[in-house]
Amino acid sequence: MTEPLTGARELVDESVGDRAPEWDRTGEIPEEVLRTLAARGLLCAGVPAAFGGLGATSAANGEFTAHVGSRCSSLRSVMTSQGMAAWAIQRLGGPQQHARYLPELAGGRLAAVAFSESEAGSDLSAMTTAIEPDGDTVVVRGQKVWTTAAHYADVIVVVGRYGSGAAAVVVPSSAPGVTVRRVPRPSGCRAAGHADVHLDEVRLPASAVLGGGQPLTLLVTTALAYGRISVAWGCVGILRACLDAARRHARDRRQFGAPLARHQLVGRHLANLLTAEQIATRVCEHASRSWDDGSPDMVIATVLAKQVSAVQAAQGAATAVQVLGSAAAHEGHVVERAYRDAKLMELIEGSTEICQLILADHAVSMAVS
Amino acid sequence: MSAEQAITAEGIEREIAGFVAGRVNAEVPADQDLFASGLVSSMFAMELVVHLEQAFAVQILGDDLKRDNFRTVRAMTALVLRLRDAEQPADD
Repeated sequence: MTEPLTGARELVDESVGDRAPEWDRTGEIPEEVLRTLAARGLLCAGVPAAFGGLGATSAANGEFTAHVGSRCSSLRSVMTSQGMAAWAIQRLGGPQQHARYLPELAGGRLAAVAFSESEAGSDLSAMTTAIEPDGDTVVVRGQKVWTTAAHYADVIVVVGRYGSGAAAVVVPSSAPGVTVRRVPRPSGCRAAGHADVHLDEVRLPASAVLGGGQPLTLLVTTALAYGRISVAWGCVGILRACLDAARRHARDRRQFGAPLARHQLVGRHLANLLTAEQIATRVCEHASRSWDDGSPDMVIATVLAKQVSAVQAAQGAATAVQVLGSAAAHEGHVVERAYRDAKLMELIEGSTEICQLILADHAVSMAVS
Repeated sequence: MSAEQAITAEGIEREIAGFVAGRVNAEVPADQDLFASGLVSSMFAMELVVHLEQAFAVQILGDDLKRDNFRTVRAMTALVLRLRDAEQPADD
């Protein structure tokens, strides 16, 4: 069997090397790193082979995403954006748009997805960005905030109001009227290229509109599903990096005449980290299996995976910081980055609280067993 | 369910009604507006999309995701029938 991601981890390890702390500090991933990985289709490995993609299963892409996340959450975050853009095009676009855009994204063009606005974060009903038809063109007006990877993106998939419903539109970053302004020094995933995107009377061909007229919530739920499963696997990677750093330190460092791991309170931290990593892995595996089976369970399983993994990662990273003590208490250390990056994962792609609301709704409505 | 059973409009409608009923714990008439009655959240709407795709081997993309196609069991049945016709030209 040909595994579409053969050699991918090695390429990532080679590309990242020991530079993740530097990227975190400078807020920039070198363009050639992103271009190299994007050109191989690795940033959106789920794109079907029929469109020039690697056609990886959700399970395989998920494990690869975790690997990238264990090395550099900023790079993993760019990958999440690219994959989510491709997924949105695949799901919301028609056959001509698949043929046009998917090979581009699988072949090296970089993409982001713009949802949030200053007054419309979790409350999508407040969204004001508008996509207005005008003959065989559309005009896009709006101000998006916190668009991950927009700093690097060649195209930005923008979600907005369209007629009585919503649509997404593929906006080239170079189109007249598009201004991308970086979020200065974000607290986590600092090199993920978060930016505000201003769309001032951006005129595009009507063929750039994906779908159109769907309910806004369904459209966003659909697009976000990929972002959520990707973030969830990224959190597995954060936990693996934290577990690895903590157990090494606890084995090597001696205090009171014994390795730290032999001190029971430290041992408990290691046990908790291992538990967190296993919990997050299993819940992500379950969700990815639902994706690969085409099961409707994927909808809630994905929210559950994101919720569980992000919470476990935030707690696990804090635990790892505690185990390493002053050895990690400096900017750029793997667990120090994890501590900041993991907390951000509890805020994005549906905050912990929003995910809890969705899960609570599900608990109330699910069939009685 | 098997594809053979699903081939008739009646079979499709029965299958979809069964799925909806299982999810909302209530029998749902084929012409009941699921959105107006508050039975369907955006999460459940997406589950419906994935379920129809899996159960009837169709793909529901782009414009077909509009709300009217999912408003009632009957509307979903019509969507599935249309997509099956479009995707199976001169096939067995």
